[in-house]
Amino acid sequence: MSTILKIFVFPAAMLIMCLGILTILGGHITPGGGFQGGAMIAGAFIFCAVVYGLKENPFHFSHDFMAAMESVGALAYVGLGLAGLFFSGFFLYNLGVDLYGLVPAAIQNLFDYPDPIHAGIIPYLNIFVGLKVLVGLSAVVIAFMQVKDHMDSDETAADENNNENTE
Amino acid sequence: MLYLGPTLFGFILGFVLGSRIKSSPDSKIHFPISSYLVVLIAALFMAWQIGPFPYYTDTPLATGFVAAIIGILAGKVIFDR
Repeated sequence: MSTILKIFVFPAAMLIMCLGILTILGGHITPGGGFQGGAMIAGAFIFCAVVYGLKENPFHFSHDFMAAMESVGALAYVGLGLAGLFFSGFFLYNLGVDLYGLVPAAIQNLFDYPDPIHAGIIPYLNIFVGLKVLVGLSAVVIAFMQVKDHMDSDETAADENNNENTE
Repeated sequence: MLYLGPTLFGFILGFVLGSRIKSSPDSKIHFPISSYLVVLIAALFMAWQIGPFPYYTDTPLATGFVAAIIGILAGKVIFDR
């Protein structure tokens, strides 16, 4: 890729990631949410991966990092669901804004998101879905690019073998 | 009034992403500290233009956006790899 793109893309990716985070954080009261924000963050990462390539990419998403984020997102989502099941009898019950008076006040306050909307567990669900989506979409592109690199290296090796045989 | 929710979680998400920034020694393009300063200024300008999203009643800046860029830079500085 050209030098102009390489100078521009990394700073732009940081700003796009911030917009993705903002989309996740406003998902409970504005259009957007975990999937959309996570896709924006993954888009910024993919932007970098396409321009710099996997080896020189400034955002280094390792296998361990992606596995950890994916696991944290999935486990926390299920954990919030089970908390609702345990305290109210309904899976994913919104403990923070307990409309039916099923949950003790201490538990309601524990899960209350610190903002004036009092959306309960919805912002947390958005955040964990965002983590899962950003890692999932990034992993797909990383896998495709690694397969392409692998195929290119195989073709290069085959060409070298053919050249040696003809000589 | 500054609301804690987007500020705190914006910083955490930004910090996680910033901790993955790794400058490659093989790359011909290097980003000095001044480039991160330019990004910070641009981010502050963007946050001003976005306004008090998503609550529309707190500070004139988008606090989640500012917290996210500060988190990215903090993650980059602390896990400087």
